[in-house]
This record gives sequence, C-alpha cells and structure tokens, in this order.
Amino acid sequence: MKKSITILTSLAIICYCFIQAVKEDGFGPFQPSALSLEIPKGWPEPNNIFKKNKLTVEGFNVGRRLFYDPLLSKDSSISCASCHQQFAAFSTFDHDLSHGVANTFTTRNAPALFNIAWMKEMHWDGGINHLEVQPLAPLTNPNEMGSKIANIIQYLNDDTSYQRMFKAAFGDAKINSQRVLKALAQFTGSMISANSKYDKVKRGEASFSKIEERGYALFKKNCAACHAEPLFTDNSFRNNGQSLNRFKDYGRQMITGQSKDSLKFKVPSLRNVQVTAPYMHDGNMFGLPQVIEHYAKGIKTEQPTLDPLLKNRLEINNKELYDLMYFLFTLTDSSYLKDPRFSGRTSNVHNNHN
Amino acid sequence: MRYLSLLCFILIFYFPANSVAQGGHDTSTSLHIIFRNTANQKKIVLRDSIYVTPAGEKYTITKLKYYISNIRIGENILDEAHNFQLISEPADVSFNIPVTPGIYTEISFLLGIDSLYHCSGAQEGVLDPMNDMFWTWNSGYVMFKLEGSSENSKADKNRIEHHIGGYRNNQKIATPLTLSFKETLNIKIGEQKEITITADLDQYWNSKNKILIAEKPVCTLPGEIARTIAANFTMMFSINSVQ
Repeated sequence: MKKSITILTSLAIICYCFIQAVKEDGFGPFQPSALSLEIPKGWPEPNNIFKKNKLTVEGFNVGRRLFYDPLLSKDSSISCASCHQQFAAFSTFDHDLSHGVANTFTTRNAPALFNIAWMKEMHWDGGINHLEVQPLAPLTNPNEMGSKIANIIQYLNDDTSYQRMFKAAFGDAKINSQRVLKALAQFTGSMISANSKYDKVKRGEASFSKIEERGYALFKKNCAACHAEPLFTDNSFRNNGQSLNRFKDYGRQMITGQSKDSLKFKVPSLRNVQVTAPYMHDGNMFGLPQVIEHYAKGIKTEQPTLDPLLKNRLEINNKELYDLMYFLFTLTDSSYLKDPRFSGRTSNVHNNHN
Repeated sequence: MRYLSLLCFILIFYFPANSVAQGGHDTSTSLHIIFRNTANQKKIVLRDSIYVTPAGEKYTITKLKYYISNIRIGENILDEAHNFQLISEPADVSFNIPVTPGIYTEISFLLGIDSLYHCSGAQEGVLDPMNDMFWTWNSGYVMFKLEGSSENSKADKNRIEHHIGGYRNNQKIATPLTLSFKETLNIKIGEQKEITITADLDQYWNSKNKILIAEKPVCTLPGEIARTIAANFTMMFSINSVQ
C-alpha cells in the first residue's frame, strides 16, 4: 500500500510539473539566472533601474547581442557599438561627430558609456528621461541608425535564434519594443567602470606618484565642484562658456523651452577621459590641454547663462597643466576597456550559456 | 489511505480552480464608447474632404490620433489594459469597458496620459512607441496628433503638423474632462450600452483660444504653443448620444 501511494504521489507530482512546464513555454520551466549590480564601495545608491526589469544573465545577453547588431539599422551598416566603441570607453574614437547611415553625420559627440545606472537623464541635453527609452533616439534618428521600430521588431521576430534568446530571458518568444528596450537597458545599465588607478588608490591597493598627487590637489580645488567624486560628474547641466555652434545647438533649452537653460549641456564624467577625445558636446576640442586652456582663457564670460562657478577663469601654469593631466590619466580604467562581459566578440555566441 | 484522499483532493480541486481563475471575471455588462470626430458638423473623412475652420481657413486632414486614459464611470476602476486607449482615425475610434450594473450620470476621462507614464521607461500595448506617438529625442508621448494640409500654411508642402504633448511642470497638456449625460444611463446585468462622444475640431481651432493655421501650422514640441492649442481641448468634447 505504502509503495503504491509513493508511486501515485510521484506520478501526480510529475504530471503537475509537466503541466506547469507546458503552460509556461511548452518545453521546460523558465528559470533565468539572476544577476546583480556590484555597487562599488563608498558610491551613492544607483537609480532603481532594474525594479521593473529583472536583471538576468539571459536578458543581459539579449541586450549585448542587440547592442552589437548592425542589422538593427536601416541599411544594416551601423550598430550601437559603431559609435560606442569599448576601447574608447564606449565613445567614438577620434571623431568629433559620429557617422550615421548613408554618409550622414551626427551633430553631437557620442558620449562614453559607463555608470549609466547613476544618471537620471541621458544625452547632452538630458532629453531622455529613462534609460529604457534612450535607444529609441539613435535607432530611429535619420542621421544615426535611421531605422523604424516596426522593422526592427519584424527582423527580430523572423530570427529564430533571437526568439530563443528572448524566450530564455523573458519566458516566451514574444518580441516587442518593450522587451528589446528592457534587454538593452540590462546591458547598458550594467556597465560600471570603477577600477582605475584612482579607485585602487582609494581602496589602498596603489598610491599616487608625486605628480599625480599634485594634480589631484589641483583637481579638487578647480574641477571637483562639477566633476564630483566618485562619479566625476554631478550629472547637472551647465553652460561652460562655449560659443553657439554651427548647428545652433542650445542644449538643455531645447528640452525645457526655458531661456535660463540656454547653452547648458550635461557635465560629462571625467572617468576614462584619456580615451574619450575629442571633447565637449560637439567634439570641438581634440586634446586635454585644449580643454584645460579653455577654462583658463577661452570662456565666453559675456553669456548670461554662464555657470557662476566659471565667472573667474582658471589660473594654471604649464607645469600645473601637466600635473592635472597626469591625475586625469589615473582615471583610466583599463580593465573596463577590455571587460569581456561588454565585448562584441562574446556576443557572437548565440546560445544562452555564454 | 489519508495520503491518497489528500492526493485526490489536490487533483480534483487544484486544477479546476486554476482554470476558473484564468478564465477571468464576468465582463458581459459593458459600455461601448464611440468617439465621433467631426469638423463642420460632419464626421471627418481623412484626405478627401475639405473643411473650414471658424476663421475661414480651408484644410484637409490626413491623420488624427489621440490618447484617452483614466476613464471613470461611477465607481468602476479599470485595469491597465482598458485604462489607456488610442483613438485613431479611421479604424480605431471605439472601445469596450467592463462596468458594474448601475445608474450613471456622467463619464470622466483624461485627454492624454498621466505624467507618470511619460517617464517610467518602456511601455507596451497602446503605449508602445511603435504607435508613433512617442518623442524619441525628448522622452514623452505625443498625446494629440493632427496632420493635414492647408493653403494657409506657410510650412513645407503647406502642411499642418500638430503634435501636442508635454508632461513636465510648465509644459503639461493632459486635460481632465467630465461629460454629463442628458438622461441618466441605466445599465442592467448582462447589458451592453453604448455612448457616443463627439470631438469637434471646430472647437479645436476656436474655443478658448483662436488658433490660425496661418500662424501655427506646425507644433511638434512641448511648450507655450502646445499649451495654447491644448487649452481648447476642454470645449472639444461632448456627449452625442446614449443608448
């Protein structure tokens, strides 16, 4: 009797499991592997970007493949990674402006991508209010990837390997814009750069040279009010005294519609600044000395919206300029520039076990 | 033996209970809401028909789309799937909502979308950006879209392009509206009633503010002009019939 009860019970459990499995996706239970963000010690809490978008290995992998897929663009020539290159901390190497489809140019410098989970607003003008909706801009902009969301969704739904990956990430093979955007957010939101020499010094694993030490003191005195540690930006929008450019780009004012925001642009992080040249919203400054010189000599003090912190010009001699630059070089996170998790080579594996 | 009966108990009760739960609640009592979009007292026809604004400007319409949300009738609170509706000429101009039986005197809704949904990341369903009602470079939904052409428009190809939106503090355009029924609406169990709401474009051009195509042929940004136009939403909508 006891034996038959055991057999019956086992049968019932097997039946139940089978029914549940079939209900979920027809093959096996949906069990994505949870991922968690590693928040560097001493950093502020990031935005809760994964509250309604559970971060998983499978979701991250879909995001990575999408990030590196040129077939998302109108003419299959440009992926997100075309303008966001890992070796340049995901900015465009050596380009003031980036290339869009059919020989077009963007009108702004592609920003480096890292520590996005700490940003409330994206783009130079802060026009993007949530990480998930950011990709809609470059995907559809005629001078970037020039695509249509409907075409992208069609392409992904026609590709069985994408279907398998979406199923592994979200439980079924439905591919809609929401899932595409959430997967991309899992990838880009996970990009954390916090392993530079500066970070090692802060963790007590390395020490600054004398010249770097002097540069750090100069940085704290002159730059840290806006490029605040540990993110090296306060993510605010400020006018740093450049002329209105040839694209009539008024920056933040174009989003808020308020003249008090004229010529204000996002304060970029100085992390990895060594590899993200050229600089400024339109890439008009090709080297770090040029940028530092701008704060010493180039600021257009007559602009009414000029940041109050820049009313007095930076006083810096040639020796100090080099000290400051050597400190800025300690912000390069070489492990981030080679991290295989964010590499395009890894994404060529189209299964769920990479 | 006790185990066996427990097992039977589970097998008999668990599965049917589960399937009932999936079947959903009774939705046979419902209200069908039709939006009748008119200009010059006629139901609009895209492209072919020529209309005249109260200021005498002739125009044609190629696109008319707008969001309706937070629909309230009595104490009924709708789930998210019913709560957002995209009215889009010519195909999608009506929808059904489940209601509890009762006597109703008015309906209220928001023309547009609550500000929360403009900044909460990627949405789906009628809020999917694929519906071409989302600004990609300045996050937020276009809540009312009117496109067409008029000889009075000095814009390229004489176009009229009104993409009205804005959710930030000084740019808000979503408009709460309450419309009273002329006679009370009595919905009995299992009944489906129908109401028709008229959206009158004549009021869009001239009610609270006078909008001239010659002056404002294009508005594709949140801000001052969008708010001036959106002020006319208040007078645009009325209950046409209840049955």
